[in-house]
Amino acid sequence: MAAISSAMAAGQNSDFLGLRLASTSSEARNANRRRLSRQIRASKSSPRLSGRPLRVAVIGGGPAGGAAAETLAKGGVETVLIERKLDNSKPCGGAIPLCMVGEFDLPLDIIDRKVTKMKMISPSNVAVDIGRTLKPHEYIGMVRREVLDAYLRDRAAEAGATVVNGLFLKMDSPPAGSGERYKIYYNEYNSKKSATGEKKEMEVDAVIGADGANSRVAKEIGAGDYEYAIAFQERVKIPEAKMEYYKDRAEMYVGDDVSPDFYGWVFPKCDHVAVGTGTVTHKSDIKRFQAATRLRACDKIAGGKIIRVEAHPIPEHPRPRRVLDRVALVGDAAGYVTKCSGEGIYFAAKSGRMCAEAIVEGSAKGTRMIDEGDLRIYLEKFDKTYWPTYKVLDVLQKVFYRSNSAREAFVEMCADDYVQKMTFDSYLYKRVVPGNPLDDLKLAINTIGSLVRSSALRREMAKITA
Amino acid sequence: MASSLSPSLPTIFSTLISKPNHRSQSLQLSFFPKKLPSLFMARSADNGTGAAASAVVEEKVEAVNPPPKMEEEKMVEVKDKEESLSSNGVAVENAEVLTFKDPRWVGGTWDLTQFSKGGKTDWDAVIDAEARRRKWLEDNPEASSTVEPVVFDTSIVPWWAWVKRYHLPEAELLNGRAAMIGFFMAYFVDSLTGVGLVDQMGNFFCKILLLISVSGVMLIRKNEDIEKLKKLIEETTFYDKQWQATWQEDYKSDSKN
Repeated sequence: MAAISSAMAAGQNSDFLGLRLASTSSEARNANRRRLSRQIRASKSSPRLSGRPLRVAVIGGGPAGGAAAETLAKGGVETVLIERKLDNSKPCGGAIPLCMVGEFDLPLDIIDRKVTKMKMISPSNVAVDIGRTLKPHEYIGMVRREVLDAYLRDRAAEAGATVVNGLFLKMDSPPAGSGERYKIYYNEYNSKKSATGEKKEMEVDAVIGADGANSRVAKEIGAGDYEYAIAFQERVKIPEAKMEYYKDRAEMYVGDDVSPDFYGWVFPKCDHVAVGTGTVTHKSDIKRFQAATRLRACDKIAGGKIIRVEAHPIPEHPRPRRVLDRVALVGDAAGYVTKCSGEGIYFAAKSGRMCAEAIVEGSAKGTRMIDEGDLRIYLEKFDKTYWPTYKVLDVLQKVFYRSNSAREAFVEMCADDYVQKMTFDSYLYKRVVPGNPLDDLKLAINTIGSLVRSSALRREMAKITA
Repeated sequence: MASSLSPSLPTIFSTLISKPNHRSQSLQLSFFPKKLPSLFMARSADNGTGAAASAVVEEKVEAVNPPPKMEEEKMVEVKDKEESLSSNGVAVENAEVLTFKDPRWVGGTWDLTQFSKGGKTDWDAVIDAEARRRKWLEDNPEASSTVEPVVFDTSIVPWWAWVKRYHLPEAELLNGRAAMIGFFMAYFVDSLTGVGLVDQMGNFFCKILLLISVSGVMLIRKNEDIEKLKKLIEETTFYDKQWQATWQEDYKSDSKN
């Protein structure tokens, strides 16, 4: 894994450039450069807003929305955050990398559990404990989304953002580039009044769509669809004695029985475990995969009581359009979920913050109008920073989740200390660290060896049916 | 080691390639529910995944129903689930009867002493046994256990056992093919340019040709392999294209300006 990642890291920076430049003539490229730079200049000299700060609506109060609203409010922008359900507990694994705790200054008490052992279980039940190489202070944090989201929202409110309990309905966009305001329509739910809500509207200068996979903002700007995976999860309350096993351990099950293109999981939560699985290609069979996941974890969760059943779509790739005029998408709404691990909280929060930073910068702390060029800066920065991570995980998924034999090889590979170190380093700190070339080579050879052995066995298995 | 590695490279390719056909087909299938979300919901509700569907299309449902009703629906689903768990518990017990059993499978690994033939371990038999076990497990997935972990590791089978079993027959064919192609390439280069075989060895261009023919023989064993390679390249760039989309749009609007 690490061999691939570091080998690719070299190619990736150039790849990223290729990302934008590939398959277009240099003429178009230059035109684009000119356009972008012209726009950036234009926004610096764009009209000062007289007598009022820039007003931005953040739709959605998850990690992406919360992080964006906080940064905006701190940057002197008038911020309105609209969230439909303030105590929403989204079905979600809830794992956050260590670097997020530092970067977002999270208090330790919102972390329910510190996972230090990750068990990978192959189709033939070979189990590998990943996490031997972790240092004493390193862990994967497990949070409850209702707690994390509320915390980030509260902090945004503290910084000066207005948090509205409302449901975004639609918006009227002004002609592109006109600099007029957007008009957004929403239902405000006030606990004192009726539950149906009160129709309201508001004029804003820019909109950040952080409203998740079923984003209405994305629909409004015609952002296009993405392929999505469906994740199904049951929260199971298991006896105290069995909970002990999951105190600091999470499990990942791979295999065609559990999911043809993803993995099944048992994640520890505050006082229960979440058992779930996901798939893109066989959504209608999700129930069967869930049963298989339960069966594979059988003894460990036996006697458990299901307290909640949840399902949610997980984007597979970014939407074809992520920015239009003064509307930007962040988090799940934009489609920032990694392949292979299905991680999205950190990237959502980061994209929200990056987008807000671009707006604060472009508007000179809320005093000037912004335009698309400013939001494109966020896109460019995000793609440049995280594209390698996304690509590496995509390659891993393509190579190792392809068949049972590849999965066997994957688990075999994960038993290696070097792999574990590289995996955890890149997961916890979100940077692709170049490894030791000799170790990388050794790893590459071992990986090929594992793949060859398991594919040889697969051919042997095919013969048995015949 | 080198000799064992080089013929084995294409086998990875065949593993890699073996699935995409199947995958792309199923991908197309999955477009169907995606384009018709209401249909998808109905279908999955039939399967009993009502909760799943309701959450997935939550936004859509909400436009029709007031939110409180959603809550009720969820509660009902949860109750259903509790029942299904107990029924599942029964299913689990049934499955437990079907654990893999083989006298040679002891303590989570193959007992190698039972595989000895003439004082040496018969690795071929070990490979056979493991293949049969995996096949069995594919049809009857087994619960993982912390009490009796699986410790068998395919790497205990020495590499020559794999090579002997899988690569010798094919290597013969490939070597023959490479030799023939090499001979004719040398012949043509000689006849066209007049550079002799010995001189060709020192020529950079000829070395490149050699490399191309060797890798060509390795990668393209059958005609279908060409198609498979094309699909593989397509697949590896697919994700890039999805990420590029937002920038491509920029160029389009540019060219209009």
